[in-house]
Amino acid sequence: MLGEFEYVLITTAAGLGGQAYGAAIREQIARTTGRKCSLGALYTTIDRLETKGLLKTWMGDATPQRGGRAKRMIRVTAKGVQAAKDFYDAVTRVSRGASWVVNQTGGSAG
Amino acid sequence: MSLGWSLTEVAAHLLHHEEREVVLGDLSEAHESTWHGLLDVLGLVTRRQLQLWQNWRPWLSGFGLALPSSFLLMGASVGVSTAYQSLNGPRDIDQHLLFICQVLLLAAWSWSGGFVVGKLSRLTLWASVLLCLTPCLFCMVRFRIPSLSRASLLLFLLPAVVGALQGVRRIQISLKAGFALAVSVTALMVFMCSSGRLWFVNWSLIWPVWYIVSTAPHASREVERS
Repeated sequence: MLGEFEYVLITTAAGLGGQAYGAAIREQIARTTGRKCSLGALYTTIDRLETKGLLKTWMGDATPQRGGRAKRMIRVTAKGVQAAKDFYDAVTRVSRGASWVVNQTGGSAG
Repeated sequence: MSLGWSLTEVAAHLLHHEEREVVLGDLSEAHESTWHGLLDVLGLVTRRQLQLWQNWRPWLSGFGLALPSSFLLMGASVGVSTAYQSLNGPRDIDQHLLFICQVLLLAAWSWSGGFVVGKLSRLTLWASVLLCLTPCLFCMVRFRIPSLSRASLLLFLLPAVVGALQGVRRIQISLKAGFALAVSVTALMVFMCSSGRLWFVNWSLIWPVWYIVSTAPHASREVERS
């Protein structure tokens, strides 16, 4: 099963679609989770997920705003989508009955 | 260009070329403070280095080759310098022959050692260099032969550096050339051993040339594939 950060990364990359690359993913993760993600954590996790076949990466175009440097583009594979879905399902199952989970009628159990 | 950004670029040189470009591009785009960027790059470099040291290659390159060989090659360098001083004129052919063999062996040991160190572990070369230079500094400080300069300890450095640079660039050595080198070095060592001029521990310096031979067929296959 995926780790928490792996799930966040795959979900963010999937959400960004064709615009998924390092800087964009970092910015999106910081915006949605409120936590800064280090370059080390990001790129070692991307490598690990690519090795597992959950992501595919390739070198993209260089842009002037990046000082003429290339991007590492990222695409979530079908296997990656399945792994993220499995993680989400597992978290949903394990969370049933937890006091902080909003129930189906819309109210909080706690 | 600020000092922080310059340091960040220097630190990024410990990353693969492609990753360096990507990371520096990400930092430029994110407009982060340069010192945060430097810490970020150092964090990534540290993670990458830790990953590299999980492999056997940097250990073999640093502790199996660079460190022990530096002591032996310093000894061989002093041997060459001493042999040069004791040459008794052009008529002493035996001594000249032995001196030439010593020089050739020193050059071959140093070059092949450097080549294997560079080839085995490009991104941890800094550690191997450190492990090689530390004994050199130690011995230079303690060097006590009045008739010889301290620099005579370091005769091996030039061929070793050339070899390391070629190893880092993954220069291909054909099986024929590698085999010819290995056989020549072995023959020279046998000759020196039979004349009592080779310390038995120096036999450990032979493995890099045979390593080059053992990896040469793979290297030629890589060339065919590319």
